[in-house]
Amino acid sequence: MFADSPWPKALRGVVLPAACALGLAAPPAALAVDFSHDVVPVLRVHCGTCHAGSQRQGGFSINDRESILAGGDSGTAGVVPGDAAGSELIRRIVSTDPEIRMPAEGAAIPAEAIEILRRWVDGKAPWEDGFSFEGTTYEAPLALRVVELPPPHGDRTHPIDQIVDAYRAAKGIPTPPRCDDSTFIRRASLDLVGLLPTPEAVARFTADPTPDKRRRLVRSLLDDDLARAEHWMTFWNDLLRNDYSGTGFITGGRKQITGWLHRALVDNMSYDRFVRELVSPSDAARGFIDGIVWRGEVNASQTVPIQFAQNVGQTFLGINLKCASCHDSFIDRWKLQQTYELAAVMAPEPLDLFRCEKATGARAEPGWPFPELGQIDGSKPPAERLAQLATLLTDPGNGWVSRNLVNRIWARLMGRGLVHPVDALRAPPWSADLLDWLAGDLVGHGWDTKHLLETICTSEAYGAATPAVDGQPQGGEYVFRGPLPRRLTAEQFTDAVWQLTGAAPGKPDAVVERVKPDPAAPPAAPPAARWIWSNPTASSPPTERRTVRARFTLPAKADHAVAVATADNEVTMWINGQTVGRSADWGKPFAEAVTPHLRVGDNEVLVVAANAAAAGPAALRAEIRVRCGDGSTVALASGDSWEWTATLPDANGLWAHGAPPTDWQQASVIDAQGTWASADTAFTAGLAGTAGPQPMVRAVLVKCTPLQAALGRPNRDQVVTSRPTDLTTLEAIQLANEQALFDTFARGAAQCRAAGGDDPDTLACHLFNAALARLPTETELATAREMLGDVPTDQTVADLLWAVVMLPEFQFVR
Amino acid sequence: MHRDHQRPERREFLRNLAAAATATLALPGPRRRADAPAAHPAATADAIIVLWMAGGMAAPDNLDPKKYKPFEKGLAVADVISTFPAIPTAVDGVQVCQGLEGIASVLDRGTLIRSHVQPDLGSILHSRHQYHWHTGYVPPQTVACPHIGAWMARVLGPRNPTMPPFITIGQRLEGIGENEEIKAFTTAGFFGSEFGPMNLPFPEEAALAVRPPKGMEPGRFADRYKHFKKLVAANPAREFTSDYHQESLLRSLENAHRLLGAKERDAFDITLEPKEVLEQYDTGRFGRGCLLARRLVENGARYVEVTTEYIPFVHWDTHERGHETVDRMHGEIDRPIATLIRDLEARGLLDRTLVVIASEFSRDMITEGRPGSKATDQAKSPKDFLLEPAHYGQHRHFTGGSTVALFGGGVKKGFVHGRTADERPCLAIEDPVTVTDLHATLFTAMGMSPKTVFDIEGRPFYATEDGKGQPVDAIFTG
Repeated sequence: MFADSPWPKALRGVVLPAACALGLAAPPAALAVDFSHDVVPVLRVHCGTCHAGSQRQGGFSINDRESILAGGDSGTAGVVPGDAAGSELIRRIVSTDPEIRMPAEGAAIPAEAIEILRRWVDGKAPWEDGFSFEGTTYEAPLALRVVELPPPHGDRTHPIDQIVDAYRAAKGIPTPPRCDDSTFIRRASLDLVGLLPTPEAVARFTADPTPDKRRRLVRSLLDDDLARAEHWMTFWNDLLRNDYSGTGFITGGRKQITGWLHRALVDNMSYDRFVRELVSPSDAARGFIDGIVWRGEVNASQTVPIQFAQNVGQTFLGINLKCASCHDSFIDRWKLQQTYELAAVMAPEPLDLFRCEKATGARAEPGWPFPELGQIDGSKPPAERLAQLATLLTDPGNGWVSRNLVNRIWARLMGRGLVHPVDALRAPPWSADLLDWLAGDLVGHGWDTKHLLETICTSEAYGAATPAVDGQPQGGEYVFRGPLPRRLTAEQFTDAVWQLTGAAPGKPDAVVERVKPDPAAPPAAPPAARWIWSNPTASSPPTERRTVRARFTLPAKADHAVAVATADNEVTMWINGQTVGRSADWGKPFAEAVTPHLRVGDNEVLVVAANAAAAGPAALRAEIRVRCGDGSTVALASGDSWEWTATLPDANGLWAHGAPPTDWQQASVIDAQGTWASADTAFTAGLAGTAGPQPMVRAVLVKCTPLQAALGRPNRDQVVTSRPTDLTTLEAIQLANEQALFDTFARGAAQCRAAGGDDPDTLACHLFNAALARLPTETELATAREMLGDVPTDQTVADLLWAVVMLPEFQFVR
Repeated sequence: MHRDHQRPERREFLRNLAAAATATLALPGPRRRADAPAAHPAATADAIIVLWMAGGMAAPDNLDPKKYKPFEKGLAVADVISTFPAIPTAVDGVQVCQGLEGIASVLDRGTLIRSHVQPDLGSILHSRHQYHWHTGYVPPQTVACPHIGAWMARVLGPRNPTMPPFITIGQRLEGIGENEEIKAFTTAGFFGSEFGPMNLPFPEEAALAVRPPKGMEPGRFADRYKHFKKLVAANPAREFTSDYHQESLLRSLENAHRLLGAKERDAFDITLEPKEVLEQYDTGRFGRGCLLARRLVENGARYVEVTTEYIPFVHWDTHERGHETVDRMHGEIDRPIATLIRDLEARGLLDRTLVVIASEFSRDMITEGRPGSKATDQAKSPKDFLLEPAHYGQHRHFTGGSTVALFGGGVKKGFVHGRTADERPCLAIEDPVTVTDLHATLFTAMGMSPKTVFDIEGRPFYATEDGKGQPVDAIFTG
């Protein structure tokens, strides 16, 4: 047996008087008052006006436990823990003497509220750690402030640097050095498009002597619309709670906004319009405000309108209305009433107000938290009210929406927000000037998100070396010293591994338009493939299976290749030993991009086709089209040049003992081609649908895999605003032994060898360059050599690949 | 080429990596509230095994028998509550249903709570009730709620630093109905995946989860890691990376490789058991899962859950042919559960291991939800007279009273707490125990206050809803 508990001895065996006294009679339930839920509201409502915050009438303040115990000017203790009867506070509120009774004006405190306070005091008056009625004293003005830039330090004239340099000078912090060029290109690529820079790009960039190369690099990365959009889609899927599978879909209680979001990001839709289209949506974007509906009754703080209020507040305003969905927030100034008013904007009727699941009898009319800018007209139907809300949110006088976006993006790029945490925009920023300058600049440039990214990433503040941080981030006042290393997201990690190994899937799960159809492009040629079988009449006993093969030669590396196949009744295809697709319905051919499976020179296609258990004809139809890097095209279509055998490979398309059969016979083109005419359209569409060159399918576009989940891709049941920063043991186990990842490295080894050659040193240099944007040191090279051996094999390359990918340097953007 | 830098303190750090791996550093995730009223009770159990009867185990056909009539054509439903006759148990005066002879024979080692109740959610969705049972909170919620196993992993930690503290066995999370809903609670929620479950859907394949991947012999696996550590030591960029993050990453990899290379990994391999032991447990996946659970707890796991697996309309989720299906389920669960209890006892582990049999709700032949519920009837079998054997069984979901069995871990032996009515509706009529209070009971047994509270998004979040769970003190030996 092992040590049975990590608890210090002193803690163990301590028994809670209230709840946990085993073997004793259960304590009266009456004792169970909860400070946050029961006591705070009573104190706030009945005492707060005169004794909270800056108010301390009679010298008495309820701001914190110390003050409430101390009492007021009379000198009598306010509260004696454990003794309600002997406490001045209780004596005053139960008194019938108008000279003594509190509250001094208005009605007496209701009996049940008095009872709560009495029980609280008798229960030793526990207090919530850190809680104060005082609240934060900081409150940003609603409108953005006009920021006057401090003078530049030397030639550091980027506005961000002018502000940051002045900040550093005031704090006595030295200006950090620039990061080196290879670090910068890796950082900017991962930050802006979520991909590793190619070794060629690294070489070009580091060799470039021009002084404005960083600026041009940032611009060219941002101009890769698809890559930029698909990287930032991770960020927005989290914030907008969008996914392709997850809770709610099962009962139709949830809708995706995938297509709308992808298009909006590719087009760099201006942010004010983006917000308006989400808050006052078309059908394509409705999934955000409609939330997730679970079947059955939900608690009052999770109805669709309340989810709407919470999500709009959090995602666009950076304010937390979750606490204020059950009761007035204890940590913020938001009130239950405000949450319900915002919720009522989308609700067909005014909402009954529930406090902690109990109906209050009050109702909330549509409204929003900043009436200074205008109010929602409750007499209008919900759609019009949403349009009003959308306009109010993006009103130029409202600084919250732009500040919030700036803060979230700054946090993504720098490792920590100007305001921290990112969901508490009411907290003081470390530089209010920088926050408002950036927000103003964003709005001034037509709410152009790409401009915001460019502004931040072209500053010296962004391009600085990361500060060395020893030890765990500490408490105390935060000081900005430079960009912090950030862990790759699950999507960045997966994309990077796919870049190194060529293992990206052929098709995304997300339904998005990745390549705009080119109206000028000639229509794809009709299929050349014919239906074939081992005989021209397609006669076949039930369950008959035939193996069919064809070979073709590529003159150059394939740029794009697609395979389409179907059979009556089942087909599986392998190319060069890799499974490429299956279909079990002759009306539904599979169509797959097969580029990674092809090689220069000879290629082999192997197909196993099977007839169904019921009697009927059997037939196969398949076509492969390849466009090569040299501009040539190669097409392979099923016909009488294909060969068949009755011998079958195993489930992986491999021959027993590695020996292919020798009895191949010429396939027959079936006489009655029209038998399967109804499948023609799907077959042609399959060839055309994947006709364009597809950029690598990104991890963000596929459903969450167990590995991505382990690496921190969240269930998007709620709005998610930050990802885990540390690798956990369970994740590390997966990285060490997950079969799919291992297989990816095993297959990827071949790509590395193809790109890096067979000389161990060259190969190691290629791999380091591709993964880390730098060459190995002598010591690293020696270890790499040890791993690779004199003649690198797929196995030794896979192991080196794994070891490099596991390095902290790889797993962080630094 | 980059120049090598070798700061001596870094080399020192790397040399001490193995030592650092066991050192306690601040845990990731939300902050524990410092002065939280979480004085922890004394533990009566060090480990817990939850045997999850997924899909709704009908109390009247299992651990709480009522009036019985065998099927006959035209049988009036009102005349029958149980579709199995009652049998005596090792405890005088306490009966369970025929088919559970094994459990009956070990009932003198445990307690039955016959008054477990669930909320009426207006409509029955299994995964929603399961989410509630496993996290203590009814979904949806504004934050991702941790599973009770994650609470124990977070607050109590591992019993053996090499073993994952929280392990789930038998539930596939892909390729089955409602899988996304099941995933939503099979997680550490806001605690982060460090405290999440290691999920082992197939007990017989569990060993693979802690072995090098297929196609990699152990020598190569160890070599790969050895070389990795050399690369870390030689890494020129390390001083630009926060030591804290770097150490945390390296420590996790070290922990992983330690488990993958440690003797504890044999705990995951049920084929190492003597053949007769394996056979004694092996009634199917659930039975093998019970054996795996025993091996894991023996080697230091904290929270292990074994499920009969939730698949809509399968196993305990009987929407028709209920009697027939439950008969099969008895065969699947009875022997392994009884074997597990005796086995733990024989090894001296039962006293400090709490074994719990529970389900998201009970079932009934007539009532959906509970009397007065708005829940729509989801079954087709008649409520008046039975016309064919397919109609005979508990086809409706009942939330008004179910049975939980607890063995070992400080609970009374041969004790029954609470009672349901003998006539329909079989509501819990004595000492009802809510999910919140049941969780308080389990946490208390494990030495964790039901009021344990963490700060998430500025909100206090308690182990039991609003910190209000009250343990059922009556069931503890005290």
